[in-house]
Amino acid sequence: MCLGIPGRVVELHDDGGFPTGVVDFGGVRREVCLAYVAGEVAIDDYVIVHVGFAISKVDEAEARRTFEVLREMSRLDELEWIAEAIEPAPREPRVALGAADGRRP
Amino acid sequence: MKYLSEYRDPAIARALIDRIRRTATRPWTLMEVCGGQTHTIVRQGLDELLEGAVEMIHGPGCPVCVTPLEQIDKALALAARPDVIFTSFGDMLRVPGSDCDLQQVRARGGAVRVVYSPLDALELARRTPEKEVVFFAVGFETTAPANAMAVWRARELGVRNFSVLVSHVTVPPAITAILTAPDNRVQGFLAAGHVCTVMGWTEYEPIAERYRVPIVVTGFEPMDILEGMLMAVEQLESGRHVVENQYVRSVRREGTVPARERVEEVFELADRNWRGIGAIPMSGLRLREEFTAFDAERKFGVARITVNEPTECRAGDVLTGRLKPPKCAAFGTRCTPERPLGALMVSTEGACAAYYHLARHRVVEPQAVAT
Repeated sequence: MCLGIPGRVVELHDDGGFPTGVVDFGGVRREVCLAYVAGEVAIDDYVIVHVGFAISKVDEAEARRTFEVLREMSRLDELEWIAEAIEPAPREPRVALGAADGRRP
Repeated sequence: MKYLSEYRDPAIARALIDRIRRTATRPWTLMEVCGGQTHTIVRQGLDELLEGAVEMIHGPGCPVCVTPLEQIDKALALAARPDVIFTSFGDMLRVPGSDCDLQQVRARGGAVRVVYSPLDALELARRTPEKEVVFFAVGFETTAPANAMAVWRARELGVRNFSVLVSHVTVPPAITAILTAPDNRVQGFLAAGHVCTVMGWTEYEPIAERYRVPIVVTGFEPMDILEGMLMAVEQLESGRHVVENQYVRSVRREGTVPARERVEEVFELADRNWRGIGAIPMSGLRLREEFTAFDAERKFGVARITVNEPTECRAGDVLTGRLKPPKCAAFGTRCTPERPLGALMVSTEGACAAYYHLARHRVVEPQAVAT
């Protein structure tokens, strides 16, 4: 469960001094805390995300390759938790799973 | 994608395997302490491909698997309370406690919710002020920054109906415990890539020096692991024992400093029981005094729950390399992923579950990827 999943930063917010953003994981989008990589990332940068927190920045080729390997190894369980998880806060966009890998409707 | 196809080229895997075999003048015993690596090694059959050159012992690298029974029982007690919404990562729901698991508590009407992030649990607490929301804060150092931030944020926002049941463990003390066990056979370690992405590798340097073992920070993909094995074997063959970094794509020596700082602000080191292994001094994290208002054990008076591990599950022998999962008398019969005796059979990162699923894969998929 210590695997991080790479994704692309598509939105940046400053939630009352709390750096957050939206990250796209192969089509699945999710609000992510960017506090630990604040100042390092901009829109379209790639980050490794673990349980809703970006823990490091990576380059695009590495991010794409890793995502594909995780998909092949069926190691994207964290993304499944998004679907199982409680409804996010109202202002967060609700995202349908399935487009990315077709594993879950 | 060219990069992709290159990286997965079976010829590269074959070349690495040949090189490990040529380098090893005798069999070496290595341990990985990362459930993700265990999954890859067993699934791809990397240990079988290197039989006679490298033996891999699958160490206590799966946080789900090492969460002690007493913490599971505390979780079950909290989840059964009518005033509590108990929140957890999805993979903790089927870990067996003394009597049942969280999924069964939910089936009996307990409010148990899966969350993706601890911040989801905090948000639920803010939106449900009439309930107590408890989050099961498990994990290694990779997950600690997320759970630390949820607590820190709860204090900042003044959310009083949020608390955490902490069961955090840290890798370096487990490595030391394994090395100092009287019957230790491990000669080198692969350290977990994403744990070190957060923590860096400075904590491992004194261990490598003191116990004269190579430690290689390694990723979790097949080629990463083969390369990590090769680096460890090269050190062993030349009598060196230092920390090396195979996973340069993600890991820096100092780790992710802001994450480490937040963890240190919220948590402090404490003794912790590891399921199947027992107590390891200063191997866990607990909330610092200034954050104890968020400690679910104190808030709900469950801190005194203690239990003895059942004897039929031999997880401790598996985690220390004394027993391979298929050799366990209960494996696949009295212990299956559907009816597990212990946590190693539950998580997909547990060694027993990995072997169990591998046996099934082999029926339809006889060729490992690297052959």
